[in-house]
Amino acid sequence: MYKLTRLVTLADPGCLSTLADEARALAVAHAAYRTLIAPTLPGSHFGGDLLAHFAFNDAVQRADFDAALAPLLATPAVASVDGVAYRSGAGGKSDPGLADGVYRVLLLSVDEDTVPATTQRFEAETRMMPHYIPAIRNWQLSRADEAVGARRWTHVWEQEYADADGLMGPYMMHPYHWARIDRWFDPECPDRIVDARLCHSFCAMEASVL
Amino acid sequence: MTTDDTAAAPMVHAIDEIVAKPGDGKALLEDYLARYAPGARARGMVLEQILVSPPMWLDDQPNTLVFRWSLAGAGAWWQMRFVGGNDPDVAIWWADADARAVSRRRFFASDPADMERLCDV
Repeated sequence: MYKLTRLVTLADPGCLSTLADEARALAVAHAAYRTLIAPTLPGSHFGGDLLAHFAFNDAVQRADFDAALAPLLATPAVASVDGVAYRSGAGGKSDPGLADGVYRVLLLSVDEDTVPATTQRFEAETRMMPHYIPAIRNWQLSRADEAVGARRWTHVWEQEYADADGLMGPYMMHPYHWARIDRWFDPECPDRIVDARLCHSFCAMEASVL
Repeated sequence: MTTDDTAAAPMVHAIDEIVAKPGDGKALLEDYLARYAPGARARGMVLEQILVSPPMWLDDQPNTLVFRWSLAGAGAWWQMRFVGGNDPDVAIWWADADARAVSRRRFFASDPADMERLCDV
């Protein structure tokens, strides 16, 4: 699956519904396989006002859609956009029928001089989070093909939860997160490889998009 | 949580292990206490223990310095992490310390008796 995610920060929040409707119509016209467009929930950090996520069957479809979407996101109503284009990486589903849950995406940037084996270790440990933290129902870790925004985003870490409490509670407070995974992010730890600037964005979803 | 929510959060520990460059162990320990420790205390960390190995200052070989800090649970850990992780003075300190170290580790731990409660989130 070929995916595109845009985290849109609005200069004019009153435009959110109009922009969402226009992006939704564009996704239909370009035969998006899956679409999730929703306002971000409180607690998002550099996550934008609108989370827009699209999946396509091939790279050409995605590129055509990206080109069509770009003018919508270049209007004065839009203050900034962070986003990625990527192919689905390794993931899993413990609750593929999850409905009325919460979708969360983390855009992160691994330092350019990180040796590949270290990046692979970071990825492998991150992919084990759902094993230790069952509140993560469905998940996918992918490498970005293209990035826009504040950093050259290298990875997309997507998860789905039954509700926001799953994200704010078990995900954050489990020791596998803070005592194991976070060292890759923590500027005080010598193992750190991830830039401190992250996009942490989440929104309500009607059905799983992973 | 299935455990008693009224009980104090299980204590967690942050452990710094720094192998100082030969001859610099004593000075690095003093700098850690002067430059890093006050800010760490302000972030809620309590310095519980300092260990030096071997227990004598070496001038031609490395000394290993171990600092064990405690924090009042995972919530306090995240508070420490968010504040320290965004403090440029902390980043400058660690860059200086790393330049004076053969190696360094920071890891997080708990008493085995607290593990089940820490995982019950």
